[in-house]
Amino acid sequence: MTEPEEAVERARASAASMRASGAYGEETGGLQLGPEPVTTAKLAEWALIEPDTSVVGSTQRFGAPVTHAKRLLLRLLAQYHAEVLARQARFNVGVVGELRRLEERIDALERRLRGDDPA
Amino acid sequence: MKVHQILSGAGRHDAITNEALQFRSRFREFGWGGADHAARIAPGSNGSIAPLARLTVASDDVLLLHHSAGAPGLGELLRLPNPKLLLYHNVTPPEWLWDRAPVAAFRCAIGLEQLSELVQAVDVAAAASSFSAAELRSLGAGRTEVIPLLVDTSRLGPPAIRRPGGSPTVLFVGRLSPHKRQAEVIRVFSLYRRYRAPGARLTLVGDPVTADYAAGLRRLADTLAPAAVTIESSLSEAELGDRYRSADVFLCLSAHEGFCVPLLEAFHFGVPVIATPKGAVPETTGDAALLVDDTDRAVVAELLDLAVRDESLRAALRTRGEARLRSYSPDAVAVRLRAAVESTVAAAARR
Repeated sequence: MTEPEEAVERARASAASMRASGAYGEETGGLQLGPEPVTTAKLAEWALIEPDTSVVGSTQRFGAPVTHAKRLLLRLLAQYHAEVLARQARFNVGVVGELRRLEERIDALERRLRGDDPA
Repeated sequence: MKVHQILSGAGRHDAITNEALQFRSRFREFGWGGADHAARIAPGSNGSIAPLARLTVASDDVLLLHHSAGAPGLGELLRLPNPKLLLYHNVTPPEWLWDRAPVAAFRCAIGLEQLSELVQAVDVAAAASSFSAAELRSLGAGRTEVIPLLVDTSRLGPPAIRRPGGSPTVLFVGRLSPHKRQAEVIRVFSLYRRYRAPGARLTLVGDPVTADYAAGLRRLADTLAPAAVTIESSLSEAELGDRYRSADVFLCLSAHEGFCVPLLEAFHFGVPVIATPKGAVPETTGDAALLVDDTDRAVVAELLDLAVRDESLRAALRTRGEARLRSYSPDAVAVRLRAAVESTVAAAARR
């Protein structure tokens, strides 16, 4: 019989004992505690938009005709979407480029402040 | 009296939308009028919440602002002279979302920026939990009220009469989103299945923050526990009730929760809860859940095993869960809600 207040301690003991017998190898790892950072490299990867049209569908029970209609609409509007995507990609790429230039300037300023790179 | 509710966003499976609808039926019982509006309405909503652009208010109507994300047009509303009550449900920290759902992250970032403006502009500041109320106080709110989420768990149907037989089923219900950490639930479950219960199943229920994120979870599940994980979205209330009735244990490893309605739903169905004590989770569960802060997945896997197999532990958690649920009874929450609205009117009259 385990009281709720004792349960976590028992689980810890149990995990230790299982480990001693060879269970829970290195694949147990540690819980992922924090969010993954968004780096400039990742932003650059996202800047060029290439939507996956295979994800367009319907979650309704009898959604096959709805999925078909949505995909047909995408094909009919392909020219318009290409134009929208091109404009958005131009903006995205421009922002990422500007961000890189700013990072380089900050790096240079920091180096100068540390005295690594006298002006 | 008229009370208009304004939501940051509305959706069919959204806890705050459901609460606003519950509030509306209480307002009708109180003899109060008004309408419900949202800045964003998800496709598939049933039309009971109107777009914010259609809001029309008389000067003495009360505005009840449910805040959970950035809402365009909020500044205009806050400049109105009407009595204003803020109900803060908490905003997901955007850093959890930038990577996978940048649009949602942006809305959350705006929502956090708007919060201090809201705190300054409203007559009464309330939150769904003490955890969120503390955030309001840190932004300068002098006095805060706590109005827990009004949750009618009976809408999901009665609990199972007998425990489901066969291999154990682990359940988590919540938006498929990085901060809910379903990926960790899958990883822990795969260990539990490997070392303790080879036939175990995991059910994840929730609408995805993006289709891409849901696909990533599916791939992880297929790699770590092939054919043992079900991921479901857009369930009806009857179907959701069935998932709770089929569950042996509820596992919540969320990194951030402003209240966490599914915990109360699990209590309603007598399903033992294991959760990480993050955000408002310890406050919502009280002593009725097994709270584990360990970062070692093996410990959580062993805790799952204990919660499934130890009948006396299950019985103790069930009893505590029932008591916890009673403390969140809809009638008790409605009393707090009415008092907060009346305080808002009185505070506005004193301005």
